[in-house]
Amino acid sequence: MFATLETTELATWVAVSLWGYPIMLSLHVMGLAVVVGIFSMRDLCLLGLFPGIQPFAFLGLSKLGWVGFIVNAVSGFALFASQATVFITSVPFLVKIACIVAGMVLAGVIQSHLRIEAGLSDPSVVISKSTRILAAISLLFWLAAIIAGRLIAYIF
Amino acid sequence: MEAFAESIVGGSLNVWIQATYWLWPIMEISHFIGLSLLLGGLLVIDLRMAGHFRSFDPTVTHRLLPFVLIGFGINLLTGILFFYGDPMRYSINIGFQIKMGLVVLAGLNAVFYYWKVGPVMYCWDANTPSPPIAKFVAYTSLALWTGILLCGRLIPYVGTG
Repeated sequence: MFATLETTELATWVAVSLWGYPIMLSLHVMGLAVVVGIFSMRDLCLLGLFPGIQPFAFLGLSKLGWVGFIVNAVSGFALFASQATVFITSVPFLVKIACIVAGMVLAGVIQSHLRIEAGLSDPSVVISKSTRILAAISLLFWLAAIIAGRLIAYIF
Repeated sequence: MEAFAESIVGGSLNVWIQATYWLWPIMEISHFIGLSLLLGGLLVIDLRMAGHFRSFDPTVTHRLLPFVLIGFGINLLTGILFFYGDPMRYSINIGFQIKMGLVVLAGLNAVFYYWKVGPVMYCWDANTPSPPIAKFVAYTSLALWTGILLCGRLIPYVGTG
């Protein structure tokens, strides 16, 4: 299946053409900045590092985080397809994907927590302990995703 | 820049970076963490400055700036180490040269923000329309940093200048 994926038109364009791979890598780094940038700022805010900034303000901005995720899912799939048989056996790659899935699931859970807590009577005081713990775990997943992602090039 | 690059080759820092095999991936990982902090903070500050995402209180978004500066500090340090580790590659690379030019412009834009826009934002409330000067500084910042990201990522793929 992965060998077949490598022979598709998309995969060969990314692998062989002069600009296919750099274009996908460029999109991937911009998406990374948006996804990890926004979600890590949200997590740091939930952990109380930005006094005065309401964590609920991130409810709207998180949508932009999802846009970044879609850019990276598409560019990431194109990069994956170009060397699918190599990536699928790469431990750092598999760890990275697992961390991203966990980070995005947590993003959804934190978003629903925030929506509920924003609806409470006095939103300035209530960020529950469980939401803060989820924010700390989310931060660690994004950190691990970056570390694992970079190590794909070094650990075979 | 080439003369400076040549003077680095064979120096103790240059030799140490090249001989320490685990250092390069750690520097790359740090550079990516730095860019996430830098861009993440700037996205919030600049988009609010341009008048978007009004649920953010415009008088407090500057509290993200320390993390932007920490991100920049990490990337300045790791960036200098990259240069010292492989000076002849970076100094003649057109992607690197444009990137450094854009970083200088982003710095000037930041100075302009501190001088003209930041002080005014303290008087904004949720409904204050973003003045053209604030929009200009915000979009210039986002455009420059996007360019910096692109040029940096393309360094391995573009030629020498």
